[in-house]
Amino acid sequence: MTIRLAVNGQDHAFDLPPQTSLLEVLRNDLGLNGPKYGCGYGECGACSVLVDGQAARACVMTLGAVAGRQVTTLEGLGTPEAPHPVQRAFIEEEGAQCGYCLNGMIVTVTALLRDTPAPDRATLARALRHNLCRCGTHLEILRAAERAVTLMAEARK
Amino acid sequence: MTALTIWRTGKAGPETLLEIDPAGTVTGFNGHVDLGTGIRTALGQIVAEELDLPPARVRMVLGDTARTPDQGPTIASETIQFAAVPLRAAAAQARAILLALAAARFGCPPGALTLRDGVVTGGAGTADFAALLANQSIRAELDPAARVKTPAEYRTVGRSSPRVDLPGKATGTWTYVHDVRLPGMLHGHVLRPPYAGRDSGPFIGHSLLAVDEASVAHLPGLVAIVRIRDFLAVVAEREGQARTIAEALKVRWALPPELPDLGNIAGTLRDLPATKRMLTDRGDVEAALSRAKVQLARSYSWPWQMHGSIGPSCAVARFEGGRLEIWSGTQNPHMLRGDIARLMEMPEEAIDIHRHEAAGCYGRNCADDVCGDAALLARAVGRPVRVQLTREQEHLWEPKGAAQLMDVRGGLGEDGRFDAYDFETRYPSNRGPNLALLLTGAIAPSPQPSDMGDRTAIPPYRIENLRVAVHDMAPIVRASWFRGVSALPNTFAHESFIDELAAEAGEDPVAFRLRHIDDARTAELIRRTAEEGGWQPRSGPRLHGEGDFAFGQGFAYATYVHGTFPGVAAAQAAWMAEVAVNRRTGEVSLTKVLVGQDSGLMINPDGVRHQLHGNVVQSLSRTLTEAVTFDAISVADQDWGAYPLARFEDLPEVRSVLIERPEEPPLGVGESASVPSAAAIANAIFDATGVRMRELPFTPERVRAALAGAPMPRALAAPPPRRRRFARMAATLAAGIAGGLMAGAVAFPALRAEIPRSAPPAAGLWSAETLARGRQVFAAGDCAACHTAEGGVPLTGGRAIETPFGTVHSTNLTPDPETGLGAWSYPAFARAMREGISRDGHHLYPAFPYTAFARITEDDMQALYAYIQSLPPVRAEVPPGRMIAPVNLRGTMAAWNALFHTATPFTPDPAQGAVWNRGAYLVEGAGHCASCHSPRNALGAERTGAAHLAGGTVGGWTAPALNGTGPGPLAWTEADLYDYLRDGRSNRHGAAAGPMAPVIAALAELPDSDIRAMATYLASLAPAPAAPEPTAETLAATAQEALETATDPAARLFTAACGSCHMPGPLRLASAATVPLAFSSTVHAERPDGLIHAILEGVPATPGGGASMPGFAPALSDARIAEIAGFLRRTLAPGKAEWTGLTETVARARATRH
Ligand code: FES
Ligand code: FES
Repeated sequence: MTIRLAVNGQDHAFDLPPQTSLLEVLRNDLGLNGPKYGCGYGECGACSVLVDGQAARACVMTLGAVAGRQVTTLEGLGTPEAPHPVQRAFIEEEGAQCGYCLNGMIVTVTALLRDTPAPDRATLARALRHNLCRCGTHLEILRAAERAVTLMAEARK
Repeated sequence: MTALTIWRTGKAGPETLLEIDPAGTVTGFNGHVDLGTGIRTALGQIVAEELDLPPARVRMVLGDTARTPDQGPTIASETIQFAAVPLRAAAAQARAILLALAAARFGCPPGALTLRDGVVTGGAGTADFAALLANQSIRAELDPAARVKTPAEYRTVGRSSPRVDLPGKATGTWTYVHDVRLPGMLHGHVLRPPYAGRDSGPFIGHSLLAVDEASVAHLPGLVAIVRIRDFLAVVAEREGQARTIAEALKVRWALPPELPDLGNIAGTLRDLPATKRMLTDRGDVEAALSRAKVQLARSYSWPWQMHGSIGPSCAVARFEGGRLEIWSGTQNPHMLRGDIARLMEMPEEAIDIHRHEAAGCYGRNCADDVCGDAALLARAVGRPVRVQLTREQEHLWEPKGAAQLMDVRGGLGEDGRFDAYDFETRYPSNRGPNLALLLTGAIAPSPQPSDMGDRTAIPPYRIENLRVAVHDMAPIVRASWFRGVSALPNTFAHESFIDELAAEAGEDPVAFRLRHIDDARTAELIRRTAEEGGWQPRSGPRLHGEGDFAFGQGFAYATYVHGTFPGVAAAQAAWMAEVAVNRRTGEVSLTKVLVGQDSGLMINPDGVRHQLHGNVVQSLSRTLTEAVTFDAISVADQDWGAYPLARFEDLPEVRSVLIERPEEPPLGVGESASVPSAAAIANAIFDATGVRMRELPFTPERVRAALAGAPMPRALAAPPPRRRRFARMAATLAAGIAGGLMAGAVAFPALRAEIPRSAPPAAGLWSAETLARGRQVFAAGDCAACHTAEGGVPLTGGRAIETPFGTVHSTNLTPDPETGLGAWSYPAFARAMREGISRDGHHLYPAFPYTAFARITEDDMQALYAYIQSLPPVRAEVPPGRMIAPVNLRGTMAAWNALFHTATPFTPDPAQGAVWNRGAYLVEGAGHCASCHSPRNALGAERTGAAHLAGGTVGGWTAPALNGTGPGPLAWTEADLYDYLRDGRSNRHGAAAGPMAPVIAALAELPDSDIRAMATYLASLAPAPAAPEPTAETLAATAQEALETATDPAARLFTAACGSCHMPGPLRLASAATVPLAFSSTVHAERPDGLIHAILEGVPATPGGGASMPGFAPALSDARIAEIAGFLRRTLAPGKAEWTGLTETVARARATRH
């Protein structure tokens, strides 16, 4: 059975069982590095992607569940030369140590800002509460998230 | 081609330290690696400084055995302090060479030249590196005495420089080891033995008893099963296939002997064999203790903790032409190469390790183990293999940060001086031998002690009578260094104890410390930290509080000493911590931390500050929440639910005071700021409450117990489950064997006449309309669900259906003449459907719902027959078998039918409308909803009357009531029923799961009008509500509040394991949890089975799209699932009776899982 979906604006068709993990398809079939495997149970956030603009954990999403939908990964937000405002905020505030959790942090903040354009620090912290970071980069991440709010507001102007 | 190379003679020949190519690009080489701390940026800054380049123009190659010097493992924050020294000299030497070249070219002395931003300017002109090195090929041996810049000359070092890796990491263009992909690469998945996390004992390498390769031979993608002693792995084309195969592979392992009681750290550590090593013994401790004015004896203990890398370890290996290449996230490329050479029996020179960054590891995780796995598999299959460990494997097998026990005695002299200190520490840990070496038997699994328990074992204070000993011990479970190594626990003891003494002396704890410090730099650090943190002097605990809360400040200080004893000092750090303790719940919040640090020269102050912050957050997590739990034979924590980490909401306000000492040599900063953490927090809790916490972690239960003067509860409140995972494996195997004997037949002795075989009907006999109609009836009955075996060919039967009277197998529905329905005439088919009599005259067991199908109209029945006969025939035998007595006795079924069955088609109720009647026809006829949703009597018949559609069970799942008497808090309205049947989920009830999920998928074939009709009919069955029900909003809000405010261990487990979907907060997550759990009937049901099944097996994606819930069976033990179920019942259905025997129910459900 062929399953079609768009990833970072490009259409793809897969002849794979619908229960194939979306994370596997993104990483192994499409060679994308942004979404990372961290736990496979939706607990850590490392695999986060956007599905129709909404945050989702690709490790617990099946390919079948995203048929016909738009998936955006970290790569689809911006590039090193032209980063998305949220990516820029994380680069400028150095919101990473090892950076393995960084994908999830950026994607989650991006999704939050879509629905809630001007969250305060407490709201940012609550939105990120299920994104784990072992390096303890939380303070820099929150600062980056706050900066992202500003940069996004500027970008919207 | 390089134009300029600086090299040195290393252990195995020349090693390159620095290269400049003809284009002027500078590359530095360092044997240490970036463990995620930004060391790559700092090393680049050092090179850039000496060469006067912008840091962005220096590239660093770290930890590649073919290219970088062998500088030992990246541990103990030594990179900047030691490993960078030759690199800096090489850069300085290169600078001198470049200046000499320019001097020759411009005809002036080197002293007259300036070098700035990679350009040399002199009297006669300017030249960049490329110009100076044109046509050069210089190789210079390192001059370790090359003149390096003095701090006064620094322009780059000492200033913050942006991280070079972040633009790539933030945009997905950075290649972590997880992102290495080679052409033709396969995927390996390892199966580890039941002795998870253990590394010594004769059973290691001898526990694999049998592998049933045939059990997975049919699965797609399988390339190889590789087995060497206890090393077992499958290789497959796709990553998901490899995991599926590994999970399906039937394997028999011997169970290892039980572990000692690791919940009792003090007892166990004192009992086990150890070698006592005296580190210092001066003065006369015993005499001083006996004359002491105040004498205290204390024990402090630290639990096993996880390194907890967010990315489970991964490696790729390629074995080609006798050479082995490994792409690795190792901390120690050269040491790893030695291990791999031993494992593969190859010379080291034939092995290259390419180091890529991985997730921050803070010590030894499974990064090296997985390289051994990948190497063995790449050689076995002759293609590159990637091995990605699962989260469960990483949790179970990473060598843990070791538990530690500190037994302390000490006393105050006459003048209130800290006069005697007797300190003994036990640290069962070593360097974590490579797992592949152990599993394959390449090294002996004998207990290996190491000497790393002595870090910061000597207290920093002036104490006249001092005796310090370390008991070197082999690990009990795999253990190896973790950030702060043994210094963190040792300091917890030193700094708690000195606080206890100060309190005994009635002296201010900061002043008391200062009185015993000689070093002026240390004294300044302590003083400034206390001052800037707003330290309140005291002579005892201040016991401030308000309402439930108590507030306190605590202080602690340490110099982290690393390396072989007596070791070398890294940066020194002091903490001033402020806590709020909830006296009712026992929760401790760290509200404010001020960390002072003296790290000598800071290469990159922002980098230092980030390290400091990371240390604060990580160590607060370790202090307040983290402890590994064990069951009888192994590590028990396999996911972040069982082993939670601190989260954003736990963050304190953090300030840092970085003391500027640009004239002093740089000191390691990777770990220092962790070291005083636990003691500072414990001391703050004492100041707030007067209670001493001497055992980590300071969980709410333990703090509550301490406040009540009760003994410390264990880290895990629930009793450790016994042998859970492998008990299940054994059970599965047993079931597999028994299944062959037990399987019941669908057919019973013939009682009625056989209807002769008929020739298969000709193709094209039926109109497209008839076939379309048949297809709908087929969908309404969801025939496919029962007539397809797990993983089998659709509609060919063979699914085992458990009934109270044995197991029956469904039949092959395809029109194959021999094994399916191909030789069945329409009368034979209709008789089976309406009367439960097979073509050959045998009775069918009522697991086949002919009692409902009898109601199907003649037209629909014919269409259904037509549709089935139009399917492609597939030959498939269904396993034969027996039912248990008395159902297999001749005549029993006939009697049963006489009692419980009327074979008449549906008759509409004239009092009801057409829609209602259509709904009733579908529900009671083809839909056969009552088969699952009505309770059955002792003879297996659906109960009728008030019990009709009042809820039943199927395969261990609860099939909730459809007649409006269900346990959920919200009634099922017609709209709810429509949403649920159409989309598989209702906003007020939740999503279809378990056996209901395929039913919903099949109903997609039915037109909207039919779905509405079913909803209309079912809604009409509900009695009028007795009392007005709460609104969904109120219910959701109350439930959310209850979940958020709970503080017991089960609440933490739930938050960590389930929270991302079930406690989403302000983020709208696309997840399967579209409905608050409080609405779900599973939480309110009389029995926990439905909830337990959902946790074990998950909830599939609904057909309309949307996420699925993963099954947690592989990750959570029976005890933990029981904890979650009990917690949800208590919290979300507070009025209902608590469930009992939950752990046993989970074990049962797990055993019957299909
Ligand atoms: S990997 Fe998906 S949430 Fe952890
Ligand atoms: S930066 Fe390493 S896990 Fe977050």
